[in-house]
Amino acid sequence: MSLETTLQQIYDLPISASIRENVNAFPLIESLHVLAITLVFGTILIVDLRLVGVAAHRRSADRLIRELLPYTWVAFALAVISGVLMFVSNAPAYAANLEFQLKLVAIALAGVNMAIFHSTAHRRIADWDTDLPPPAASRVSGFLSLALWTVVIVLGRWIGFTLDVLF
Amino acid sequence: MFIQSFGEWLYDTPISTTFRDITWVIPAVQSIHILAIAVVIGSALVSELRLAGLIATDEAPGNVVRRYLPWIWRALIVLLASGTLLIVAEPARTLGNTIFWVKMALVLGAFVLTMAFRRPLLAAQAGDSATPAKPIALLLLAVWVVVIFCGRFIAYT
Repeated sequence: MSLETTLQQIYDLPISASIRENVNAFPLIESLHVLAITLVFGTILIVDLRLVGVAAHRRSADRLIRELLPYTWVAFALAVISGVLMFVSNAPAYAANLEFQLKLVAIALAGVNMAIFHSTAHRRIADWDTDLPPPAASRVSGFLSLALWTVVIVLGRWIGFTLDVLF
Repeated sequence: MFIQSFGEWLYDTPISTTFRDITWVIPAVQSIHILAIAVVIGSALVSELRLAGLIATDEAPGNVVRRYLPWIWRALIVLLASGTLLIVAEPARTLGNTIFWVKMALVLGAFVLTMAFRRPLLAAQAGDSATPAKPIALLLLAVWVVVIFCGRFIAYT
């Protein structure tokens, strides 16, 4: 079974067809996606800026992370669900779209950056929890996260202009 | 009628034509617009949830508002500037669109509510207890959410 057949089968799913056929479905899903990514970026921005060394509304970096990350994760889940729905509605076109492919790479890199942060600088957060500026490892993580999520949003907007729409 | 002829005049200006001819201008300005919306949403979310008493209740409301309100104003300036560029590039898509005017009315409403109920909190002392703010907080968050939906629907109407 080739990738093309799989993508075509996804395209032929009833849910994909109903998203294509209902005129309001795609704009609604896309609006939810925009809401979700602004919540992801808006909350992660506050945390990343704190990791870079810009004060947040509270001094403790660890408490800030634990306070805001649940909102980031819920919003990220909403972004994934709405993103998957847009993808299935036109799977072959998205899979062939360069900006879409690069966006997935950028999201993966943001995930790797986060995993590295949590397994290194965050392990020792008790040592620098209230330090401003925080240690270099924290500043690098925060800066990379800001850069990668900015790239994700820009690439996402570019998909809307480069996608070969089939319906 | 006036808006329509203004839109047609704007569409024919060299700057409008240039924005449309350079293919990356509109997506780039829209990307900046979305990033600025994220700044408003992030700042509004933390401030309003604090004022609703749902997060960071150990921090004084005044401190939280002082930290995030300036960012809402800065982001709104970026949104006004990038939004103006998008109108110049595609006047008919925006000026002739009811959803666009609904969005503008809601942004104005959110701005007025924020000025009336949030700006006074900048002067609040650490010991001051917040006025019952929950309904306004949830209303403001709801208005921002509807603004985002309107923004995306402009492209489809």
